[in-house]
Amino acid sequence: MEITLTHYLVLSTVLFAIGLIGVMRRKNLLMLFFATEILLNAVNIGMAAISHYRGDYTGQMFAFFIIAIAASEVAVGLGLLIVWYKRTGKIDLDQMTSMRG
Amino acid sequence: MQEHILSILIFFPALAAMFGFVVHKDSVRAYGITVAAIEFFLSLWLWNLYDPMTSGMQFMEMAPLVSAFGISYLVGVDGISLFIIILSTFFTLIGIASLTEKRRVKDLIITLLFLEMTMVGVFAALDAIVFYVFWELSLIPMLYIIGAWGGPLRIYASIKFFLYTFTGSLVMLVGMLFMAYFYYQATGQWSFSLLEWYRLILPVNIQMWLFGAFFLGFAIKVPMFPFHTWLPYAHGQAPTIGSVILAAILLKMGTYAFIRFSLPLFPDASVIFMFPIAILAIIMIVYAAMVAYAQEDIKQVVAYSSISHMGVIILGIFALNVEGITGSIFLMIAHGVVSGALFLLVGVIYDRRHTKLMSEFGGLASVMPRYATIFGIMMMASVGLPLTINFVGEFLSLLGFYKQSHSYTLVAGTAIIVGAIYMLSAYKKAFFGNVTKEENKNLKDVNRTELLGLVPLVIVAIWLGVYPKPLLEPINNSVEAIVQLMHDKAQTEEAKQRIPDLAHSAGLNSMQEAH
Amino acid sequence: MEVYLYIALFAPLVGSLFAGLFGAYPKMLFTGVIASGLLFASFVSSAILLNYVLTGHTVHVEMMTWIAAGDLYIPFGFVVDQVSVTMMMVVSVVSTVVHVYSIGYMAHDKGFNRFFSYLSAFVFSMMVLVMSDNFLGLFIGWEGVGLCSWLLIGFWYHKESATWAANEAFIMNRIADLAMLIGIFMMYWNLGSLQYDVVFANVATLPMHIITWIGIFLFIGAMGKSAQFPLHTWLADAMEGPTPVSALIHAATMVTAGVYLVVRANPIYSEIPDVGNAIASLGAFVAMFAATMALVNRDMKRIIAYSTLSQLGYMFVAAGLGAYWVALFHLMAHAFFKALLFLGAGNVMHAMHDELDPFKMGGLKKSMKGTWIFMTLASVALAGIYPLAGFFSKDLILEVAFVEQHYILYTVLLLTAGLTAFYSFRLVALIFHGNERHLEHGIHPHEAYSFMLYAMAPLAVLAVIAGMVFKTPYYLMVTNLLPAMTYHIHNHTTFWIMTIGTQLFVIAAITYAYKKYAKAVKVDKKVESGLLYQLLYNQYYIPKIYDEVFSKPYLKLSKLAWKEIDLKIVDATVDGIANVIYQTGEKTHTMQNGNLSSMLRWMVIGLVVLLVLAVAFTAGYNAVNLQAM
Repeated sequence: MEITLTHYLVLSTVLFAIGLIGVMRRKNLLMLFFATEILLNAVNIGMAAISHYRGDYTGQMFAFFIIAIAASEVAVGLGLLIVWYKRTGKIDLDQMTSMRG
Repeated sequence: MQEHILSILIFFPALAAMFGFVVHKDSVRAYGITVAAIEFFLSLWLWNLYDPMTSGMQFMEMAPLVSAFGISYLVGVDGISLFIIILSTFFTLIGIASLTEKRRVKDLIITLLFLEMTMVGVFAALDAIVFYVFWELSLIPMLYIIGAWGGPLRIYASIKFFLYTFTGSLVMLVGMLFMAYFYYQATGQWSFSLLEWYRLILPVNIQMWLFGAFFLGFAIKVPMFPFHTWLPYAHGQAPTIGSVILAAILLKMGTYAFIRFSLPLFPDASVIFMFPIAILAIIMIVYAAMVAYAQEDIKQVVAYSSISHMGVIILGIFALNVEGITGSIFLMIAHGVVSGALFLLVGVIYDRRHTKLMSEFGGLASVMPRYATIFGIMMMASVGLPLTINFVGEFLSLLGFYKQSHSYTLVAGTAIIVGAIYMLSAYKKAFFGNVTKEENKNLKDVNRTELLGLVPLVIVAIWLGVYPKPLLEPINNSVEAIVQLMHDKAQTEEAKQRIPDLAHSAGLNSMQEAH
Repeated sequence: MEVYLYIALFAPLVGSLFAGLFGAYPKMLFTGVIASGLLFASFVSSAILLNYVLTGHTVHVEMMTWIAAGDLYIPFGFVVDQVSVTMMMVVSVVSTVVHVYSIGYMAHDKGFNRFFSYLSAFVFSMMVLVMSDNFLGLFIGWEGVGLCSWLLIGFWYHKESATWAANEAFIMNRIADLAMLIGIFMMYWNLGSLQYDVVFANVATLPMHIITWIGIFLFIGAMGKSAQFPLHTWLADAMEGPTPVSALIHAATMVTAGVYLVVRANPIYSEIPDVGNAIASLGAFVAMFAATMALVNRDMKRIIAYSTLSQLGYMFVAAGLGAYWVALFHLMAHAFFKALLFLGAGNVMHAMHDELDPFKMGGLKKSMKGTWIFMTLASVALAGIYPLAGFFSKDLILEVAFVEQHYILYTVLLLTAGLTAFYSFRLVALIFHGNERHLEHGIHPHEAYSFMLYAMAPLAVLAVIAGMVFKTPYYLMVTNLLPAMTYHIHNHTTFWIMTIGTQLFVIAAITYAYKKYAKAVKVDKKVESGLLYQLLYNQYYIPKIYDEVFSKPYLKLSKLAWKEIDLKIVDATVDGIANVIYQTGEKTHTMQNGNLSSMLRWMVIGLVVLLVLAVAFTAGYNAVNLQAM
């Protein structure tokens, strides 16, 4: 069986769904980061696959950008997370309600 | 200096207002009067320099702001805007000179000077974005005046005023953006310059949409029925000076914008919407006059009378001929003078008695004869007596619309009847009869400060009623240009017919068309 | 000659402004004297102009531009021709007399200076009205006299009835003015000008229905000023003003402006004889209608006011039937004797301490001989007894109706002539003859200042001679401009029967009035409680009907419009919309609970909604694109 574009896109969609559920259900901030990473990578897979399929490298370029930005985002995010943990000793999302409207 | 006179007119008051912050509060009044006087004389100088025989824009200035989107600082005056600008500077001067407010005078004067900048800016702007900026900016000082110096319900009134007019102008902004986009589609270039837009002929259905968007913004400002309810609250709560400026100048922005934007940009839509708008105008005239008759508060009578008169102005504008539009522009000036004076007069009695209820007065004519005389003159001007300023405008407006529809004009003409009813009955309640209230027995007649504001207005009201030519001539010339432009741009057969062709009519044409 | 024109026109204005300067001060005799002097100057100038016009010339000046916009061009233009000079003479003579008289009449009034300011302003407006050379200029004067009438009716502004009457007069006139404006609009859009000469030269070229409408609208305007039915109620109420005002404005000059308009616009009305007939019929109706109301009224001034109304009806009959010069002639004669009558009534009022009910007077001829003579003279003239003014002018109108074969109109007018004689002499008899009923009320009458009587004398002279002496020269002069119709009954026998018959009829009415009222007054309770009497006494209940049908519902409707519609519908809708938005925010702000997890959930939901929308709306485009591929 040949692996076609459809397979990649299905994989991407499944990953995206997993990520999305993770984003919605997880209460641990660290887990939330993981879920975000899954979301981003789902998009990356889709981009790379379509880029290959159409013979246009712009999509892969974007994938690289996303990887780079995701890395920096994780760096900043983890930094903030550690500071938060040091202050409160918890990284439970339900406790963070200072933005209550 | 002459070529930059408009920019000076616009920004001088703002600059002076900035300096006002460092002026000592005892001398701020004198400072304000000086600034306003200089500004007023500058505007008179502008009139002196203005060439009344030219119909197009004069003293144009242009400086690109966002050249990628064709937004530029573009200002100029023609006969339509010239006198409203002078009216703005005149009323700022009169307002500051006859100011009786005691609380935080310094802030008030600074606010007024800022307001003056926005008013002159609106009427001088020829770029849609610049126009829009000044249009919205003018809300802020007014919001502040009502909210800070107003009556007990001032917060509600000022918020209502602000949000209501702001909502309308946002829709107008969308219309402007679309207009610029259509211009871009047609020419491949972005431009917000009104003069460029004038050259664009839009398909009729697009005209109708854009007309609607602009209409909402303008109609709320005028205010047209049924968008008028912010006005009685604003007037009811605003301090005297706020009401004066609001009635005399700010309302005119709406009607002015109709002439500046709606008519020349969308001639076909104007013709299509002529009768619906005329119906609204007639409702404004009659309905507002009736509501005015029912009022117990004399300031509300004047407020509703403003709505009624604005109806006549709208009717004149949508006459779509030279007589009607010229008349409506003249009536804008006239109504500014008269309603401004009436609000000042109401302020006089409010300062003395701290009430505006007519039932609290009665018999004032014997206690304050000079006040009663000036009030009487202004009331008669408001009623539209010939040889006072209002008559010329009202007559021309109605005369113009008569060409479009006989029956509508007959109904709208009841303005002269219903206007007399509410004004005379209000005057009777407040001034005639015996003095019944003890507090009224020793009221002081108008003092010198108040006369300083009122006497010039009386003089103007009679002078322009007897000799309106200095105003009518330039107005007429500019209006002719607009009407011709509309005729040339019109596409539908009906529009061609309704809007007269000045270039090819030898006077007799209009005679035959009438049949 | 132009200089005389300007003097005649502006002297009253100068007098008005001068007196107005002292308006707020207590009485200063010189304001009255100077205002009167300036009016005399106006009178002299008018006389000089009359002399000039009699030689066949006219004066036409254009002072300056007033309104010019589009094709509309309206100057301040003035014309002195045969018609306007007649009016100028009437106005200046009567107003000079009234001014001098008022110096005495208003001598003890606080508002002496103010009064002269208003009165002179009125004369100025009236001069503008009659001298203007275009319809809008006429309209200036038209509204100007309306304003002055408002000021003067409400002169004693502390009186509720006076200010009410003033407002009523102004508003009712405004109703008619609207029609007049519409007429002016029609003229402008059809003829392109409002100048008399242009309009009259071209009016015949218009289609019939347009001329008819112009004629109707202009006449409605005239109806307001001349208080014709159904816009007549204000005139009787206007008697609240000081009596000199009633003499000048509500008898001699302003109310005749409507007649002047019809006479002036005769080229228009000549084209539309049907409208003319309608005008004549309305005039005859009003003549009769007003005379009946005067029969039973118990207010001296109102009786004279109704008689004015009735005489205006006569004038409209003449004007409607195309006898313009006759209408104008009666206007002139009427101005003299009616002003005289009113001024006499003013004397009586002064003597009676403002008592108006003639049933509380009587026998005044002893103490007020001069006034008695003047009022009797004026009444004789009004009744149309040979050789006084009324005979020549009023009987002429009867002849016009007869010659034109409008026999119904003729009969109505003839009957009215009898009624006129009756109520005039009922008044004279009640006031000057019989018992001195006023003594019961503790009033001791005295004659007015002698200079007031001297001031009235010219009017008395004119009331006597105006018909006899002026008729022929007047006819010769005015027919230069107006259609020269002569109304002769060719059959001599018919003529004499008619003339003598009318005279006898009128004399019989006078005798009856004297007989009934000159001795003791018997009040017949049965008649007074009768339906007819009550109907007449209450002015056919018309003021009441107007009050119930127009005034009160209008106020109610206004209150409704404000309290129910404006506040509860229009404004409530706006506030409602604002409230919905506010409440939405208020309700949904719990969404922002600060919990990142639930906010993310909202975000995802939003994303999904947007995606669905995007897919739904782009499905069409995709289909197209795929096909292209």
